[in-house]
Amino acid sequence: MYQFNYHKPASLDEAVALFREADDPMYLSGGMTLLATMKQRLAAPTDLIDLAGIAEMTGVQVNADAVRVGAFTTHNVVAGSAEIQQALPVLSQLAGLIGDNQVRNRGTIGGSVANSDPSADYPAAVVGLGGTVHTQQRSISGDEFFQDLFETALQPGEIITHIDFPIPKRAAYRKFPNPASRYAVVGVLIADFGGSVRVGVTGAGPCAFRASGIEEVLNEHLDPSAINGVEVPDAGFNNDLHASAEYRAHLVKVMARRALSDLLKT
Amino acid sequence: MEQSGEYRIAARREDVWSALNAPDVLGACIEGCQRVEKLDDEHFEVAVKAKVGPVSATFNAALELSDIEAPVSYTINGNAKGGAAGFAKGSANVHLDEDDGVTVLRYGVKANVGGKLAQVGSRLVDGAARKMADDFFAEFSKRLDPDSVAVATAATDTDAAEEREFEKSGGWLMWVVAFVGLAIAVILAF
Repeated sequence: MYQFNYHKPASLDEAVALFREADDPMYLSGGMTLLATMKQRLAAPTDLIDLAGIAEMTGVQVNADAVRVGAFTTHNVVAGSAEIQQALPVLSQLAGLIGDNQVRNRGTIGGSVANSDPSADYPAAVVGLGGTVHTQQRSISGDEFFQDLFETALQPGEIITHIDFPIPKRAAYRKFPNPASRYAVVGVLIADFGGSVRVGVTGAGPCAFRASGIEEVLNEHLDPSAINGVEVPDAGFNNDLHASAEYRAHLVKVMARRALSDLLKT
Repeated sequence: MEQSGEYRIAARREDVWSALNAPDVLGACIEGCQRVEKLDDEHFEVAVKAKVGPVSATFNAALELSDIEAPVSYTINGNAKGGAAGFAKGSANVHLDEDDGVTVLRYGVKANVGGKLAQVGSRLVDGAARKMADDFFAEFSKRLDPDSVAVATAATDTDAAEEREFEKSGGWLMWVVAFVGLAIAVILAF
């Protein structure tokens, strides 16, 4: 066991102040990545700042054109929320596909988005639905939030407070899960905003991105066969023992076709 | 695991070569580099605090250059220890070509990892290693020619069967980058 200081601030201001004063601090949300990393001694922060006590980071609000989810909301709450199931069913469905039940009970949307794991599910929703990430000091567009492998637009000390998702006419998410971890080898979310289509992809590259080639053809013909002719370049795609870059590029089209078939049935 | 890449750097080959052999330049281009020490013309020691996502670990690496053909190519063998995180060793080849006033740097790395790094899988090894190499070369090119942007064309190839094997090749700064990248990447794989 190694020593670290544990803090549980009651407000954002207090959390940020603790972060600024500490030597090598980390914020703790659900801890589904960070705690596992610490147990393996692969991270050893001097100060762990638990965000569980901050009231303004919790809660779900639904209005006519958007769903607002507090950053500390767990995946199971999003999956089981009657309000979200009614207004934005694709988000509940996506949350229900994350990891296993234990992870869904502890893991949070803010933690997942801030971590920007290349295979996490939520980034596909932030990008595919054109969400907005709010922090204690500013708002960041979903298109600009994810920058690279584990790299986001967040500055050191910045905390995600909540995320807004615009409500599309209809949307669907399909992923090819790793059978052990349930991480997305590739996941594709397609949203139809009545006239414009957005396609968010996770798992394929270093971070979530929009598949602009697929968006272009779907804006012309909202039909799964339209995706067949699109070139998805695999340059820079993830390449590991689970799947090659080339295979992932192929999966992007397969998952996009399946998501679109689901979308057209709704 | 194997990785290779190619970068175009807008500088003369002699300048690229000398920068590749200058500890202060290299140290400045490696994010988290705490120390680069040149013991003699063929031996270096490097300490890097590397951070990728939730993982952070400090690696101490000993590097040895061989097959030196200034200003064209060399081979680097390296050995990196990351404390609780485990260790990595391997080798890299670095080759410089001239192409119309631009220097084309090509490298190939072979490495394997042990300890905790090896236990926890390899979901993100290549991605993290490539990102570290790209970050390094972006900074390196910027230093040699502030107006230029290196075109990164890194490609990786992982072969699980080969992970146990340790082969030689060279390029010492590549080494630092590649090793640490691999190491961290492996860690992230759980």
